[in-house]
Amino acid sequence: MKALQIIKYGEIKDSLSFNEVSKPTVQANDVLIEVKAAAINPIDKSIILGNLQGMLPIPLPSTSAYDVSGIVIETGNEVSNFEIGDLVYSRVPQEQMGTLAEFVAVTSEAVSKKPGNISFEEAASLPLTGLTALQSLEYAGIKENDKVLIHAGSGGVGSFAIQYAKAKGAYVYTTTSTSNLEWVKELGADRIIDYKTEDYKSIVKDVDIVFDTLGQSYSLESFEVVKTGGIVVSVVGPLDVASAKMFGMADYKLPAELAKASSEKNAEYKFIFMHPNGAHLNEIKSLVEDEKIKPIIDKVYPFSDSIEAFTHLASGRAKGKIVIKIS
Amino acid sequence: MEDLINKIKKRLHLRPEAEEFLYSISKEKTLSKGEVLIRQGQIVKKTFFVISGCLRSYCIDKNGKEHTLLFAIKDWWISDYIAIHTNELATLTVECLIESQVIEFNAKELDGIHSRFPEFESYQRHNLERHVVSLQKRILNQLQLSAAERYDLFLKQYPDIEQHTRNFHIASYLGITQQSLSRIRVEKVKK
Repeated sequence: MKALQIIKYGEIKDSLSFNEVSKPTVQANDVLIEVKAAAINPIDKSIILGNLQGMLPIPLPSTSAYDVSGIVIETGNEVSNFEIGDLVYSRVPQEQMGTLAEFVAVTSEAVSKKPGNISFEEAASLPLTGLTALQSLEYAGIKENDKVLIHAGSGGVGSFAIQYAKAKGAYVYTTTSTSNLEWVKELGADRIIDYKTEDYKSIVKDVDIVFDTLGQSYSLESFEVVKTGGIVVSVVGPLDVASAKMFGMADYKLPAELAKASSEKNAEYKFIFMHPNGAHLNEIKSLVEDEKIKPIIDKVYPFSDSIEAFTHLASGRAKGKIVIKIS
Repeated sequence: MEDLINKIKKRLHLRPEAEEFLYSISKEKTLSKGEVLIRQGQIVKKTFFVISGCLRSYCIDKNGKEHTLLFAIKDWWISDYIAIHTNELATLTVECLIESQVIEFNAKELDGIHSRFPEFESYQRHNLERHVVSLQKRILNQLQLSAAERYDLFLKQYPDIEQHTRNFHIASYLGITQQSLSRIRVEKVKK
């Protein structure tokens, strides 16, 4: 089968190649998906550039990407919740990475039926960003009437998080740039802050949850706007102790300033690692079918133009997800 | 099953051996929400009579989107008749929308019942005529009525269905977007 593979680390154009590889075989708990569409995310670009070699060592060549939608064409012996012909979507686990291919084998626990009211391309755009937003906001215990700050409302995770938080009945503040104000407004955020003309710290006060999708100074600044006893969840800031432990860093300590800010506000700092989860994707399916959440797509590329799609991703100018139509 | 037998008895003289035959080719089933009875791409051998609940048949287009062909509530039949009568693989999926009770029939045996028991011939023809009428109406409505008119007719045909179905099921039956369906509902409230 045809697959887009990472053949070395470095510049996108030099590091990706269409290769003929063998079709994956299914393990007892796997389903084999005939890929209709795949989506690419910033992490895919970071892997190609070699920025994640320490954290995510992958053997080269490896097929790229994690997000997929398609049709189940084979099931492992122990799979009971899917049948051949099911239309599904998934964020495949690390060890099964490789959705930019004609087929991918995925553990059934990471798979869900796709929402019935959207196309394969739209469904492929949802898993990674959707799971990241859902798991972060659910860890934070989001509930009706909570005040939530979501940074970077026009990003993949941010745009999903706004819609998810609104579906949960929260009051949503979000930041974005002037050029994105209009379409971010349509996602339903209550107060959109144009970071080019407004200082979010003078507008946002005492929120229950800050969802940090930017990292760097934003992680620390979150404690200026979170309420006493609130929570800051981050997907890009410094690791917290629990997640550092997962990486074998036993004596890791939170950066001193962050620890101090967190303790002064009696507000928790939590780093979230998105984990593949079919049950969570099933929740997202219901929200999409009820039109609480809409997929936001910047552009759909044919499989043959995948490398161009990565170049577009790397430009950072996409307004929504970049999807690749495989078949 | 008794209910269906009684309905048949109102229309024809049902001999005990014919009744016995009906029992031999059928099975009552309780289905849970989400259960799939027929799956697109598979061979179809069964047809279902709904005792209670609500089922839906739909096709999936090449983009992966669902289009609802019909909802089956109490006393309706549902299956993929194209697959049954042409021996092709299913083009429809039939799923259960709420907990439902159905009688599952072996479709070929049921179809051929009139060769064993000729009294079924007019009964089957009558059922077929009703089915053709309903399909023809559905096509004509789709061609010539506005979305709001189609929604009104839909509510008359399926009075309680909105409790059991999702908006996207109804929108995909009417061939409109969910936003259009919401707009039509708002307009109805204003009237």
